Amino acid sequence: MREGFGDLEWLARTRAEGDVEAWLALMPYARRIGVSTLPDPQGEGLLFRLDPCAGNVGNVLLPALHGGVVAAFMETAATLDLMLATRAPRLPRIVDISIDYLRTARVTPTLARCSLMREGRRMGNVRVCAWQEREVVPVATARLHFVLGDPAEGGA
Amino acid sequence: MSHGYTPSDPDWRRALTRFVTVIPHTRELGLEVLEVTPEMTTMHLPWCDDLLGDTTRGLVHGGVLTMLLDTVCGSAVLPALPAPEVCPTLDLRVDHFRPGVAGQAIFAEARVVRVTDSVVFTEGTLWQEAGRPLARGIGNFVRLGPRNTPEGFAEALFAREDDHA
Repeated sequence: MREGFGDLEWLARTRAEGDVEAWLALMPYARRIGVSTLPDPQGEGLLFRLDPCAGNVGNVLLPALHGGVVAAFMETAATLDLMLATRAPRLPRIVDISIDYLRTARVTPTLARCSLMREGRRMGNVRVCAWQEREVVPVATARLHFVLGDPAEGGA
Repeated sequence: MSHGYTPSDPDWRRALTRFVTVIPHTRELGLEVLEVTPEMTTMHLPWCDDLLGDTTRGLVHGGVLTMLLDTVCGSAVLPALPAPEVCPTLDLRVDHFRPGVAGQAIFAEARVVRVTDSVVFTEGTLWQEAGRPLARGIGNFVRLGPRNTPEGFAEALFAREDDHA
Protein backbone atom coordinates (compact mmCIF):
# COMPACT_ATOMS: atom_id res chain seq x y z
CA MET A 1 0.00 0.00 0.00
CA ARG A 2 1.24 3.54 -0.72
CA GLU A 3 2.31 5.66 2.21
CA GLY A 4 -0.56 7.25 4.08
CA PHE A 5 -2.95 6.76 6.97
CA GLY A 6 -4.01 3.36 5.64
CA ASP A 7 -0.41 2.06 5.72
CA LEU A 8 0.29 0.61 9.17
CA GLU A 9 4.06 0.42 8.69
CA TRP A 10 4.20 4.09 7.60
CA LEU A 11 1.93 5.14 10.44
CA ALA A 12 4.01 3.30 13.04
CA ARG A 13 7.26 4.72 11.65
CA THR A 14 6.12 8.36 11.42
CA ARG A 15 4.64 8.02 14.91
CA ALA A 16 7.87 6.61 16.36
CA GLU A 17 9.77 9.51 14.76
CA GLY A 18 7.19 12.03 15.98
CA ASP A 19 6.89 13.15 12.34
CA VAL A 20 3.67 15.14 12.71
CA GLU A 21 4.67 17.13 9.59
CA ALA A 22 4.18 13.97 7.51
CA TRP A 23 0.62 13.69 8.86
CA LEU A 24 -0.15 17.39 8.32
CA ALA A 25 1.03 17.00 4.72
CA LEU A 26 -2.00 14.73 4.15
CA MET A 27 -4.45 17.25 5.68
CA PRO A 28 -4.97 20.08 3.15
CA TYR A 29 -7.55 22.01 5.19
CA ALA A 30 -5.28 22.01 8.27
CA ARG A 31 -2.48 23.37 6.06
CA ARG A 32 -4.76 25.95 4.50
CA ILE A 33 -5.64 27.44 7.89
CA GLY A 34 -1.98 27.29 8.96
CA VAL A 35 -1.71 24.63 11.68
CA SER A 36 1.80 23.78 12.92
CA THR A 37 3.35 22.20 16.01
CA LEU A 38 6.05 23.16 18.49
CA PRO A 39 7.62 21.36 21.44
CA ASP A 40 5.78 21.95 24.70
CA PRO A 41 8.20 23.99 26.86
CA GLN A 42 6.50 22.53 29.96
CA GLY A 43 6.77 18.84 29.08
CA GLU A 44 7.44 16.11 26.56
CA GLY A 45 4.42 16.63 24.34
CA LEU A 46 3.50 19.18 21.69
CA LEU A 47 1.73 22.48 21.52
CA PHE A 48 -0.24 23.39 18.41
CA ARG A 49 -0.24 26.75 16.66
CA LEU A 50 -2.71 28.45 14.32
CA ASP A 51 -1.24 31.12 12.04
CA PRO A 52 -3.13 34.42 12.00
CA CYS A 53 -3.67 34.10 8.21
CA ALA A 54 -5.82 36.81 6.58
CA GLY A 55 -7.99 33.99 5.22
CA ASN A 56 -8.89 32.88 8.75
CA VAL A 57 -10.74 36.10 9.56
CA GLY A 58 -14.44 35.69 10.32
CA ASN A 59 -15.25 39.22 11.46
CA VAL A 60 -13.66 42.13 9.63
CA LEU A 61 -15.05 44.81 11.95
CA LEU A 62 -13.33 43.68 15.15
CA PRO A 63 -11.31 42.01 13.46
CA ALA A 64 -11.48 38.43 14.79
CA LEU A 65 -10.75 34.88 13.66
CA HIS A 66 -13.64 32.76 12.33
CA GLY A 67 -14.96 30.68 15.24
CA GLY A 68 -15.33 27.70 12.91
CA VAL A 69 -11.65 27.98 11.92
CA VAL A 70 -10.67 28.02 15.60
CA ALA A 71 -12.77 24.85 16.03
CA ALA A 72 -11.10 23.22 13.00
CA PHE A 73 -7.70 24.09 14.49
CA MET A 74 -8.67 22.51 17.82
CA GLU A 75 -10.00 19.39 16.10
CA THR A 76 -6.76 19.05 14.13
CA ALA A 77 -4.74 19.47 17.33
CA ALA A 78 -6.83 16.83 19.13
CA THR A 79 -6.47 14.37 16.23
CA LEU A 80 -2.68 14.75 15.95
CA ASP A 81 -2.18 14.67 19.71
CA LEU A 82 -4.27 11.50 19.95
CA MET A 83 -2.29 9.81 17.17
CA LEU A 84 0.88 10.42 19.17
CA ALA A 85 -0.51 9.66 22.63
CA THR A 86 -2.31 6.33 22.17
CA ARG A 87 -0.60 3.13 23.37
CA ALA A 88 -0.41 1.75 19.82
CA PRO A 89 -0.86 3.37 16.38
CA ARG A 90 -4.55 4.18 15.93
CA LEU A 91 -6.50 6.15 13.34
CA PRO A 92 -8.90 8.51 15.12
CA ARG A 93 -12.23 9.29 13.49
CA ILE A 94 -14.18 12.13 15.06
CA VAL A 95 -17.55 11.30 16.63
CA ASP A 96 -18.44 14.66 18.14
CA ILE A 97 -17.00 17.99 19.24
CA SER A 98 -18.36 20.50 21.72
CA ILE A 99 -16.70 23.89 21.77
CA ASP A 100 -17.18 26.85 24.13
CA TYR A 101 -16.15 30.27 22.86
CA LEU A 102 -14.87 32.18 25.86
CA ARG A 103 -13.34 35.30 24.33
CA THR A 104 -12.89 36.96 20.95
CA ALA A 105 -9.97 35.35 19.11
CA ARG A 106 -7.94 38.24 17.71
CA VAL A 107 -5.95 37.97 14.48
CA THR A 108 -2.77 36.95 16.31
CA PRO A 109 -1.14 33.50 16.78
CA THR A 110 -3.31 31.01 18.69
CA LEU A 111 -1.83 28.13 20.68
CA ALA A 112 -3.49 24.94 21.92
CA ARG A 113 -2.71 22.19 24.38
CA CYS A 114 -4.49 18.81 24.37
CA SER A 115 -5.15 16.31 27.15
CA LEU A 116 -6.07 12.71 26.48
CA MET A 117 -8.69 12.14 29.16
CA ARG A 118 -9.42 8.53 28.32
CA GLU A 119 -8.13 5.95 25.87
CA GLY A 120 -10.53 3.02 25.74
CA ARG A 121 -10.52 0.03 23.41
CA ARG A 122 -12.87 1.77 20.99
CA MET A 123 -13.17 5.40 22.08
CA GLY A 124 -10.90 8.27 22.97
CA ASN A 125 -11.81 11.49 24.78
CA VAL A 126 -9.63 14.59 24.31
CA ARG A 127 -9.84 18.06 25.84
CA VAL A 128 -8.32 21.07 24.10
CA CYS A 129 -7.59 24.51 25.46
CA ALA A 130 -6.76 27.35 23.03
CA TRP A 131 -5.27 30.70 24.01
CA GLN A 132 -3.50 33.74 22.54
CA GLU A 133 -1.76 36.01 25.05
CA ARG A 134 -1.67 33.73 28.09
CA GLU A 135 -2.74 30.14 28.68
CA VAL A 136 -4.72 31.13 31.78
CA VAL A 137 -6.90 33.35 29.57
CA PRO A 138 -8.26 30.84 27.03
CA VAL A 139 -10.18 31.96 23.93
CA ALA A 140 -11.91 28.59 23.59
CA THR A 141 -12.11 25.14 25.16
CA ALA A 142 -13.33 21.98 23.45
CA ARG A 143 -13.94 18.34 24.20
CA LEU A 144 -14.02 15.68 21.53
CA HIS A 145 -14.79 11.98 21.17
CA PHE A 146 -13.04 9.83 18.59
CA VAL A 147 -13.48 6.25 17.46
CA LEU A 148 -10.01 4.70 17.59
CA GLY A 149 -9.72 2.79 14.35
CA ASP A 150 -7.43 -0.13 13.73
CA PRO A 151 -5.09 1.03 10.96
CA ALA A 152 -4.62 -2.59 9.82
CA GLU A 153 -8.31 -2.58 8.85
CA GLY A 154 -7.99 0.74 7.01
CA GLY A 155 -9.46 2.90 9.74
CA ALA A 156 -12.43 2.81 12.05
CA MET B 1 -36.12 46.21 10.59
CA SER B 2 -37.30 48.21 13.52
CA HIS B 3 -38.12 51.31 11.49
CA GLY B 4 -40.86 49.73 9.43
CA TYR B 5 -38.84 48.07 6.64
CA THR B 6 -39.68 44.39 6.25
CA PRO B 7 -37.14 42.62 4.03
CA SER B 8 -38.49 39.99 1.62
CA ASP B 9 -36.90 36.53 1.37
CA PRO B 10 -34.86 37.59 -1.69
CA ASP B 11 -33.71 40.70 0.24
CA TRP B 12 -32.50 38.38 2.98
CA ARG B 13 -30.78 36.12 0.48
CA ARG B 14 -28.85 39.13 -0.84
CA ALA B 15 -28.12 40.32 2.70
CA LEU B 16 -26.74 36.95 3.85
CA THR B 17 -24.80 36.62 0.59
CA ARG B 18 -23.20 39.92 1.50
CA PHE B 19 -22.64 38.67 5.06
CA VAL B 20 -20.73 35.52 3.97
CA THR B 21 -18.92 37.41 1.20
CA VAL B 22 -17.55 39.98 3.64
CA ILE B 23 -16.11 37.16 5.79
CA PRO B 24 -12.70 36.41 4.23
CA HIS B 25 -12.70 32.69 5.09
CA THR B 26 -16.07 31.88 3.50
CA ARG B 27 -15.52 34.28 0.57
CA GLU B 28 -12.27 32.55 -0.37
CA LEU B 29 -13.97 29.12 -0.23
CA GLY B 30 -16.81 30.37 -2.46
CA LEU B 31 -19.68 29.74 -0.02
CA GLU B 32 -23.02 30.58 -1.64
CA VAL B 33 -26.41 31.37 -0.10
CA LEU B 34 -29.12 29.38 -1.90
CA GLU B 35 -32.30 30.29 -0.04
CA VAL B 36 -33.41 32.24 3.00
CA THR B 37 -36.85 32.09 4.59
CA PRO B 38 -37.76 33.17 8.12
CA GLU B 39 -37.62 29.46 9.05
CA MET B 40 -34.58 28.16 7.19
CA THR B 41 -31.29 29.29 5.65
CA THR B 42 -29.65 27.06 3.01
CA MET B 43 -26.09 27.35 1.68
CA HIS B 44 -23.79 25.54 -0.74
CA LEU B 45 -20.02 25.06 -0.54
CA PRO B 46 -18.47 24.12 -3.89
CA TRP B 47 -15.88 21.36 -3.85
CA CYS B 48 -12.17 22.19 -3.68
CA ASP B 49 -9.30 19.89 -2.69
CA ASP B 50 -8.38 22.16 0.24
CA LEU B 51 -11.45 20.81 2.07
CA LEU B 52 -9.75 17.43 2.53
CA GLY B 53 -8.56 16.24 5.92
CA ASP B 54 -7.21 12.92 4.67
CA THR B 55 -5.90 12.77 1.12
CA THR B 56 -5.15 9.04 1.38
CA ARG B 57 -8.77 8.09 1.89
CA GLY B 58 -10.30 11.18 0.22
CA LEU B 59 -12.24 12.39 3.28
CA VAL B 60 -13.38 15.91 4.15
CA HIS B 61 -11.71 17.52 7.20
CA GLY B 62 -14.14 17.40 10.11
CA GLY B 63 -13.24 21.00 10.88
CA VAL B 64 -14.72 22.10 7.53
CA LEU B 65 -18.06 20.76 8.76
CA THR B 66 -17.78 22.60 12.07
CA MET B 67 -16.85 25.83 10.24
CA LEU B 68 -19.84 25.44 7.90
CA LEU B 69 -22.28 24.77 10.73
CA ASP B 70 -20.99 27.79 12.66
CA THR B 71 -21.48 29.92 9.54
CA VAL B 72 -24.92 28.66 8.49
CA CYS B 73 -26.33 28.68 12.04
CA GLY B 74 -24.87 32.15 12.71
CA SER B 75 -26.38 33.44 9.46
CA ALA B 76 -29.82 31.96 10.18
CA VAL B 77 -29.87 34.01 13.39
CA LEU B 78 -30.10 37.34 11.55
CA PRO B 79 -33.53 36.97 9.84
CA ALA B 80 -34.97 35.61 13.11
CA LEU B 81 -34.32 38.83 15.06
CA PRO B 82 -36.55 41.93 15.20
CA ALA B 83 -33.57 43.89 13.81
CA PRO B 84 -30.10 42.65 12.85
CA GLU B 85 -27.76 42.38 15.85
CA VAL B 86 -24.21 41.12 16.11
CA CYS B 87 -24.46 37.61 17.65
CA PRO B 88 -21.19 35.82 18.39
CA THR B 89 -21.18 32.03 18.88
CA LEU B 90 -21.50 31.07 22.55
CA ASP B 91 -21.02 27.35 21.99
CA LEU B 92 -21.33 24.79 19.25
CA ARG B 93 -21.80 21.03 19.29
CA VAL B 94 -21.26 18.93 16.15
CA ASP B 95 -22.19 15.24 15.75
CA HIS B 96 -20.48 13.48 12.84
CA PHE B 97 -22.79 10.88 11.27
CA ARG B 98 -20.59 9.91 8.33
CA PRO B 99 -17.48 11.40 6.71
CA GLY B 100 -17.75 13.79 3.79
CA VAL B 101 -16.15 12.50 0.60
CA ALA B 102 -13.91 14.18 -1.99
CA GLY B 103 -15.32 15.74 -5.12
CA GLN B 104 -18.85 16.65 -4.00
CA ALA B 105 -20.23 20.02 -2.93
CA ILE B 106 -21.53 20.29 0.63
CA PHE B 107 -24.99 21.67 1.40
CA ALA B 108 -25.81 23.32 4.72
CA GLU B 109 -29.10 24.35 6.25
CA ALA B 110 -29.97 25.84 9.62
CA ARG B 111 -33.04 26.93 11.50
CA VAL B 112 -33.63 28.99 14.59
CA VAL B 113 -35.33 27.00 17.31
CA ARG B 114 -35.89 29.75 19.87
CA VAL B 115 -35.04 33.40 20.43
CA THR B 116 -34.85 34.79 23.97
CA ASP B 117 -33.78 38.24 25.16
CA SER B 118 -30.19 37.04 25.55
CA VAL B 119 -29.65 33.95 23.36
CA VAL B 120 -30.63 32.52 19.96
CA PHE B 121 -30.80 28.70 19.83
CA THR B 122 -30.16 27.11 16.42
CA GLU B 123 -29.65 23.74 14.78
CA GLY B 124 -28.15 22.85 11.42
CA THR B 125 -27.57 19.90 9.09
CA LEU B 126 -25.00 19.18 6.35
CA TRP B 127 -25.20 16.77 3.45
CA GLN B 128 -23.62 15.92 0.11
CA GLU B 129 -26.34 13.51 -1.06
CA ALA B 130 -29.95 14.34 -0.14
CA GLY B 131 -31.24 12.17 2.70
CA ARG B 132 -27.75 11.17 3.88
CA PRO B 133 -26.71 13.79 6.47
CA LEU B 134 -23.00 14.16 7.22
CA ALA B 135 -23.34 16.05 10.46
CA ARG B 136 -25.71 17.82 12.79
CA GLY B 137 -24.84 20.98 14.68
CA ILE B 138 -26.38 22.75 17.63
CA GLY B 139 -25.21 26.34 18.00
CA ASN B 140 -26.16 28.93 20.58
CA PHE B 141 -25.52 32.60 19.82
CA VAL B 142 -25.38 35.55 22.22
CA ARG B 143 -27.49 38.61 21.45
CA LEU B 144 -25.30 41.65 21.97
CA GLY B 145 -28.31 43.92 21.53
CA PRO B 146 -28.68 47.16 19.58
CA ARG B 147 -26.32 49.00 21.94
CA ASN B 148 -23.37 46.74 21.06
CA THR B 149 -24.21 46.40 17.37
CA PRO B 150 -22.19 48.79 15.22
CA GLU B 151 -24.06 51.76 13.77
CA GLY B 152 -25.21 50.99 10.25
CA PHE B 153 -24.97 47.16 10.56
CA ALA B 154 -28.48 46.59 9.16
CA GLU B 155 -28.06 49.27 6.49
CA ALA B 156 -24.79 47.65 5.37
CA LEU B 157 -26.51 44.26 5.07
CA PHE B 158 -29.33 45.62 2.93
CA ALA B 159 -27.44 48.25 0.94
CA ARG B 160 -27.96 47.86 -2.79
CA GLU B 161 -24.93 47.14 -4.93
CA ASP B 162 -25.19 50.57 -6.60
CA ASP B 163 -25.05 52.32 -3.22
CA HIS B 164 -21.41 51.25 -2.97
CA ALA B 165 -19.82 52.85 -5.98
